[in-house]
Amino acid sequence: MLLSCTWLSELLGRPLDVSPPFRADDPFSAVNIAARLTNLGLEVEGIEYFELPKIIVGRVDEVTPHPDASKLNIVQLFDGARTIQVVCGASNLPPVGGKVAFAPVGAVLPDGLELSERELRGVVSNGMICSETELRIGSDGEGILVLPREWEPGALLQDLVPGIRDAVIEISVTPNRPDALGHLGVARDLALALGCELTLPAVPVPVPDTAKAMPELVTLEAGDRCPRYLGYALEDCSVGASPLWLRVRLHRVGLRARNNVVDVTNLVLFETGQPMHAFDRQRLDGERVVVRTATAGEPITTLDGIKLELSDDDLVIADAKAPQALAGVMGGEGSMVGEGTTRLLLEVAFFEPRAIRRSARRYALRTDSSHRFERQVDFAGQLELAAARAVSLLHQISGARCVAYCDAQAKLPVPAPITLDPDHVGRLLGMDIAADEIARILQGLGVTLDQSNAQAWRCEPPSFRPDLGRNVDLIEEVMRHHGLDELPARHSSSPEELMVLPEDPVRRLADALTDGLRANDLHEHVSLAFTAEDQAMLFASEAEPPRSPDDFQPTQLVRPVNPMRLQQGCMRPHLLPGLLDAVAYNLGRHTRALGLFEVGRVYLWPLTSDQAAEPTGPTAEIDRCLPTEPYRAAAIRAQRASGSAPAGELARAVTRDLSAALARVGLHAQLRAPAQPRTWLHPGVQVGLWIGDRQVGVAGELHPDLLAARDLSEHELGYGELWLEALPPLPTVQFADVARFPGTTRDLSLDLDQRISSAAVLAALTSAAADSGSSTDDPPRLANADEPRRPIELIEDYRGAGVEAGRHALLLRLNYRAGQRSVTDAEVQALHDKVVAGALEQLTRVDPAARVR
Amino acid sequence: MAADATASPQEQLDAALLAFESALPQVSSETQLYDLQVQFLGKNGAVTKLRSLMGKVPPAQRKELGQAFNRVKQAIDEGLAGRKLALAQAARELDLSRHVDLTFVPDPPRPGTLHPITQTRRELEQVFRRLGFDVVDGPHVEAELYSFDKLNIQPDHPARDMQDTFFIARPEHDPREGAPSLVLRPHTSPVQARTMLRYGAPVRIIAPGTTFRRDDDPTHSPMFHQIEGLYVDRNVTMADLKATLYRFVGAFFGEGLAVRFRPSYFPFVEPGAEFDMQCAFCFDGQVSHGCGLCKQSGWIELGGSGMVHPAVLEQCGIDPTVYTGWAFGFGIDRMAMLRHGISHLRHNFEGDLRVLEQFTSP
Ligand SMILES: [Zn+2]
Repeated sequence: MLLSCTWLSELLGRPLDVSPPFRADDPFSAVNIAARLTNLGLEVEGIEYFELPKIIVGRVDEVTPHPDASKLNIVQLFDGARTIQVVCGASNLPPVGGKVAFAPVGAVLPDGLELSERELRGVVSNGMICSETELRIGSDGEGILVLPREWEPGALLQDLVPGIRDAVIEISVTPNRPDALGHLGVARDLALALGCELTLPAVPVPVPDTAKAMPELVTLEAGDRCPRYLGYALEDCSVGASPLWLRVRLHRVGLRARNNVVDVTNLVLFETGQPMHAFDRQRLDGERVVVRTATAGEPITTLDGIKLELSDDDLVIADAKAPQALAGVMGGEGSMVGEGTTRLLLEVAFFEPRAIRRSARRYALRTDSSHRFERQVDFAGQLELAAARAVSLLHQISGARCVAYCDAQAKLPVPAPITLDPDHVGRLLGMDIAADEIARILQGLGVTLDQSNAQAWRCEPPSFRPDLGRNVDLIEEVMRHHGLDELPARHSSSPEELMVLPEDPVRRLADALTDGLRANDLHEHVSLAFTAEDQAMLFASEAEPPRSPDDFQPTQLVRPVNPMRLQQGCMRPHLLPGLLDAVAYNLGRHTRALGLFEVGRVYLWPLTSDQAAEPTGPTAEIDRCLPTEPYRAAAIRAQRASGSAPAGELARAVTRDLSAALARVGLHAQLRAPAQPRTWLHPGVQVGLWIGDRQVGVAGELHPDLLAARDLSEHELGYGELWLEALPPLPTVQFADVARFPGTTRDLSLDLDQRISSAAVLAALTSAAADSGSSTDDPPRLANADEPRRPIELIEDYRGAGVEAGRHALLLRLNYRAGQRSVTDAEVQALHDKVVAGALEQLTRVDPAARVR
Repeated sequence: MAADATASPQEQLDAALLAFESALPQVSSETQLYDLQVQFLGKNGAVTKLRSLMGKVPPAQRKELGQAFNRVKQAIDEGLAGRKLALAQAARELDLSRHVDLTFVPDPPRPGTLHPITQTRRELEQVFRRLGFDVVDGPHVEAELYSFDKLNIQPDHPARDMQDTFFIARPEHDPREGAPSLVLRPHTSPVQARTMLRYGAPVRIIAPGTTFRRDDDPTHSPMFHQIEGLYVDRNVTMADLKATLYRFVGAFFGEGLAVRFRPSYFPFVEPGAEFDMQCAFCFDGQVSHGCGLCKQSGWIELGGSGMVHPAVLEQCGIDPTVYTGWAFGFGIDRMAMLRHGISHLRHNFEGDLRVLEQFTSP
């Protein structure tokens, strides 16, 4: 909302200093007014200063055509002292004796142009005759500004028209302050803060006594939606341009002048905050209005030519036949005031705020009117003041006479009185404020006080402050005006014990895994939680029932109703798309290898069949209707491919990243085939991470098709993720005694089909070792080595010379030790032979060629 | 070295000693020294073998020969020991003469990093934990009821426009007639409502988390992060809020920075105020002189705050005639950008390695 300081000064009954440089110690300078407003909760966004120091009134004394330019005239202009020659190209130059706005040589226009003597096609021009737009006092750039004939030549324009010199302060008005959407409301706050008397807008020509009550002028059918409707019938209106002061004033607050009738309604709107609308009464069927709800589908064309099909929730102002205005939002084209309008029906109404808001939103028509109505305008004094002021100004400016009126009322709101204990103010704020000060502030804001009970004041808020409904609202008013500079920083004390709330274990786990992944050389990325539908669908599956925690069906995607763009059409069901975006972003900008991770939530609707953990507590009813938001911890590594087919290095690195992160929180994952192959990973380069018989994650190389679709085929990408909801609770470590006797090792090299994984070999060896029981007390067993802390160590997965194509050689080291003694070579060799034989027996079942090398 | 059979035992001993003494300086390692020792004093050593001559000399000469024999042996032992010491010293000196340039080492591996938003969130959590707050979060997809209605933001009220909100559609497979309307939470305030509903009063929490609004421009991202604080108890005042914010600013940005309030409006508090802190980036211990970050004002706007609206307490099952409370909230992303001097919001969510790798942290 733009505030004109000139306008405010009229309402404050004293001048304000509106031109820079301001005096810092003058409380009435624009800059200090602005500071005051911010402290009152009307936050200032900026100040702009306007002035026209050298623009004067010029009299046209002679006009002759330019000899060499058909569109230019040579004007002899009298500036009050002498006659000056000016060249002018305007087509609306007034005849001899007419007055114009003249910028002489040396004047500086608002856009910074300094005028100098110059030649236009051989004729000297000593200055310029200006338009409204050039002077920044209006939006009419069509021709020059023609001034009233009676004005004295040579007079400074800004001395004749208030508001040319001005400071305009932009404030942002919070939704609780409809009263501050007019200069009057802001002036009321300022008057109290600055200690001046508020001067209400003048009503020089009140509604004449001769105007008669005419109940048939307004039929109030929907009284619940429009508790009060003041209608005025005016005759003999002469529609034309508004006087300059009015056009300047509207321009200063950001409005475009239309015609004198519309301009008056806008002026009063920005003065009092009360929107109003003038109909051409001649064009109203039956010369009257009906306030009713629309029937569904009923058409209307608005002032700005938009055709709407109305809903039965819309309130309309209709004539005897059809809607003529979407109430409180915008007038209709059919009864618009224009040239030739002589009879008016002026509407000054109070509409039910919520319905106006629904209509405005329904058609995306946010207007100055709807903005105020939906915040609730005054239904009493200020409404009547606004009506009287408008009727009076219309008479003054357009000659319109009020001949009849109708004050149609239904059930008006009844502001409830508020009980306020003045001590409560200090108790809530934590500072002492005297009762007198509280009373001064509240009364200054228009609150009627009955202080007969010193501990329970009866406070009646004014009808223009719908936000004052409870005692805390009054306390806020006291706080605003008393100021918070003296508020101490002081802790309060309570007799009650605070309970310690339980920690969310998933949040803790997410933080721990974040640290775990970061401890590798990975960088944490935060991606937006949205993704495109097609990206999300890459991960959808038809498996029913789901076979692993990351399985979901297309209908489980969570979608915003109103996404900002297509690429953000659904909530991410997976972390990969966001990480891939980041990878693509990087690979497009530099050639470095890259490792990123993200720990965050994905969003999925539960299947009706799998009601997960049944929510409990007071929010359970809502919680049952929410999607699930499980956490994922994902890592990705990318680098330019080396040329030869990738050996899965990055996929291995990521698998290791995830295992390491788990190890850091005390969880040890086994690697084996995923419960179900992931379609978005390379079919031959993927692995499941398992804890016990639960798969807790998956890792691998991205599927070549996916890379191709992302234009990343030149790169090798490894990706893996953990599903936090599948992880067991973090274990508390149980101490085990330190092994005191040395063990011994045996190396083993196996020749195997490449599809036999090391995980399968480990499983075979482990189970063979378990089966080779011994009768001895404390026999040697497969046991953890000192380094690494594993019984079987994978040393090499070799493919190449000496190994047939399609096969690999796996080199392993097995560790044996006994519990309480040293082992002998012979007994270990015997055990080892048994273990190898047992394992080979299992492996040859799947690969008959499996053998020891 | 063959013993000269014609020489007397004495002469043979002398010759052996001479041979030893001429060989000794040639020895340059412990193994050679050992070989020399074996050559003279070993089981078949040159000197050891001469011991057998003892029986071949007349008894009268035996004593003298024995003494000579011992002298030679002792001389050899001493020679060996001396040479051994010299060798060790030479080896030590050689070792000490090594010179390695330890200013020339391979670059350490680049450490992994935490996102600046994570770092800032964690530090905020730590500070508030020290001030006695519990940390709570809630769902991102949240009921409109908890996001607005319970927070005194009524349907069809313009206060709903203070944030442009994403709404969430029910899934096709489970439309559920009459199910609550859902949104992406536009602030973390629903966590306050949930916590009050579940635990009642007194309660003191912070709720840091991810939030969403339909804004996308150079200074707004549709996803961002917020932290809110809530304290509900008996006798809680606005002065207490100021004291808490003051302590927070001191712990997070540095001691001595002032906090001030400016009246404002947030539907869930009444009275409501924005709070600013004295600019920490141009603070000389007394005064903030103005800088680019505070737009020369000496103050940095942090966020919104106020006394919890009694209607909110009522909606969340707390009796406002017994309890009062305060709440505050501010953006984590902006706090992170301020702390690290991050120039542009987009750096937060693009995942540029060259940006992320800068944010090393303890
Ligand atoms: Zn600063």
